[in-house]
Amino acid sequence: MSERVLLHVGTPKTGTSYLQDVLFRNRDRLLDAGLCYPAKRFDDHFLAALDLQRLTWGGLEAEAVGAWDRLAGQVRRHHGTAIVSHEVFAAASRSQADRALTSLGHRNGTEVHLVLSVRDLVRQIPAEWQENVKHRSPIGYAQFLQQIQDPERSSRIGSWFWSVQEVPDILDRWAFDLPPERVHLVTVPPAGGAPEVLWKRFSAAFGLDGVDLDLHGERSNPSMGVPETALMRRINAAVNDVVPPADYRPLVRELLAHQTLSQRTRSPRLALPAEVQAWVREREEAWVATLRERGYDVVGDLDDLVGAAPTSPWTDPDHPSEKQVAAAAVDAIKALTVEAARLRHSEEQLHRELAETRAALERSYLRPSYRLREKLVRRLETGAAGQRLMRLYRRVRGRSSRSA
Amino acid sequence: MTPRAWGWVAHLRDGGSTPWRSWAGEAEPQGSYLPGAQQLELLRRLNAEAPVSPALAARVLAASAPGRGRPELLLEGAAAPSPHGLPPVDPARLPDDELVRVAAGLLAEDLSAATVPSPPRATRRPWQRPYRLVGDPWLADPIREGLVAAARPPGGPRATVLIAGTDLATMLTHAWALRCFGPGAPPWAEWLDEALRPGRLPASVDLVRSARHWSERVGPRRLTVVLDPTAVPRLAGAPRRRARAITDRVPAVPADAAELARRVGPVLGVLVAPERRELLLRRVLLPRLAGAGPTLTVPPDRLRRVRRRAARVRDALLEGRYAVHGDPSALLPRSAAGPTGPTGPATTEPDGAAVLSLALRLLREPGPAGEGPRDRRGAPDTEGAT
Repeated sequence: MSERVLLHVGTPKTGTSYLQDVLFRNRDRLLDAGLCYPAKRFDDHFLAALDLQRLTWGGLEAEAVGAWDRLAGQVRRHHGTAIVSHEVFAAASRSQADRALTSLGHRNGTEVHLVLSVRDLVRQIPAEWQENVKHRSPIGYAQFLQQIQDPERSSRIGSWFWSVQEVPDILDRWAFDLPPERVHLVTVPPAGGAPEVLWKRFSAAFGLDGVDLDLHGERSNPSMGVPETALMRRINAAVNDVVPPADYRPLVRELLAHQTLSQRTRSPRLALPAEVQAWVREREEAWVATLRERGYDVVGDLDDLVGAAPTSPWTDPDHPSEKQVAAAAVDAIKALTVEAARLRHSEEQLHRELAETRAALERSYLRPSYRLREKLVRRLETGAAGQRLMRLYRRVRGRSSRSA
Repeated sequence: MTPRAWGWVAHLRDGGSTPWRSWAGEAEPQGSYLPGAQQLELLRRLNAEAPVSPALAARVLAASAPGRGRPELLLEGAAAPSPHGLPPVDPARLPDDELVRVAAGLLAEDLSAATVPSPPRATRRPWQRPYRLVGDPWLADPIREGLVAAARPPGGPRATVLIAGTDLATMLTHAWALRCFGPGAPPWAEWLDEALRPGRLPASVDLVRSARHWSERVGPRRLTVVLDPTAVPRLAGAPRRRARAITDRVPAVPADAAELARRVGPVLGVLVAPERRELLLRRVLLPRLAGAGPTLTVPPDRLRRVRRRAARVRDALLEGRYAVHGDPSALLPRSAAGPTGPTGPATTEPDGAAVLSLALRLLREPGPAGEGPRDRRGAPDTEGAT
């Protein structure tokens, strides 16, 4: 039974991909320090979240069957401190959270701590829209803003956005049975500060200070600018019907969005239009007041949750500069061309290897002993007695193989 | 306020069905969190017909609404107003869809534990007519099984390929239902609009494509497009007296049942492997739902497009000189959708209340895994009701 579990349940777009990459790559070093990050593959905790919440995710849910129970079992078997982390947990309902806490050992001797990393809505709203676009959605920014402002939250977009972003509500669902000192809020520092500040906060919250970790990971979830996101929307509209999710993920999301378009950092950045700024600020201030009152452990500063005022003119991603979109499209075509060339070379190599294998097989078929055996088998298969003999031979051969 | 909510929970747990607004009793908390309004109202609706077993009541109260959507909602008047989250609700006013979502999760759990019945088996005799049955799977699969059960399995040397079909409007309902009882589908209206876009006819009901494919494989002389499904058993060599029983295996598409399967399927996909999911939906859930409610038909405002598409399919079959058993014009929609279909009441879209009612019926029935009845118990305890 674990003595202590640090359960990190979100929120998305708060540096979680980088954190999880560091934890995954360093899991042996963590174990040496008594910390268990139970994962055989990078997305084990993501699959556990899908399983716990019975979420579909473009077919990936088929790989998630039983994933939560497996993860919880690994946590329970570890004697010491265990870490579980995925931002999709943020959307769990009270009953799912209760099941998760119970299976991790809460109320049964294990000290469960909840960690929630949080960022201001000024940055989260455009970031969440971009995440939707990176997950095949053709939705426009104005429509997205309209759906998240609907008080009923009845749309798929609106209900999901608030389920993973409304910090006090997430804590109502996850921390209803935990004392406030076991709830740790990690705030994302304002934009423009030193990049290592957030890591230091994570390190403090997870008790990683003093553990020698390799922090130079490659996995992150970088942001795109206005023309790049607009281009992705157009690509989605064109490929959604013809490119299945399993191909979309490596080609569009990884190659185009993460590896290519997010590298274009000089284009206008996504931001909030003036007409929603007051509405957003009102929510942020209400959150800060509530969180301050609840007395959670804060790693950072709750005032980080109030977003900064815009420093540059707003660019509408629904009506981007066509020149900038065209420039992004050229980069995208270049990346796809390079990838197509790489795949061509790989295909040629595989063809060569296949031809060599076929030639080797042909050579073995031409050996007189093979031809004699083949002739014998053919002759035996024509009669009932021969077929019985062959069945007996195959049974004996099978038994010999197994015992060997 | 919360003691009143816990009182209602206890009342529902004991088989009561008093609506929240009429409830006034109180009780001590019986758990670490109050179940959501959706769960509580679902249990109340289940109890309204007859109190359910304590085990089922406990499952409903502990259930989560699976997948994406609104979280568990608070009861109106049971909690202090909060500036965060969704406002509390009167559970009686929740949309049916919210309750179906919770019920779908429970039904998927039941289904995941079920045993899939084995299909019938038979050995083909050398003197039997060799055939292969393809085409609209909603028709072909149960007829093929019926033929096997009648000791007329498919296969054999130089088999004739029978491509089963019927009017295109009906085949479109078949294609959608197959998706609902299979890998999943968008809502009927959305799916139909997509299927009627040029070049988008679902492969499962594209008889021209099927005819071309089999013509290339076996030659045009060994295939027949059969537009009268009742003729398939005879063409496959089944005795005339058994033909009716074989084609009776083809269910009409029950609109509300298909919609319920569409809601259960995705949750089931998180509980079992994809191939088992399809088997459970087709072989366990569908037989339990067959004949439930009106048959699905194409809405009248889409019939003109279906007719045009059907005419193109008919013309392509005739141009390709494929053998057609039955009138090729049988591909055209039979008539404008009316209050009754070919086999009884018809509807152009699933009805939310009927889908919920079906889900409640399935939850009350003995489980698909073959457990005994688990929901019958004594009279409702209405103590505390006003």
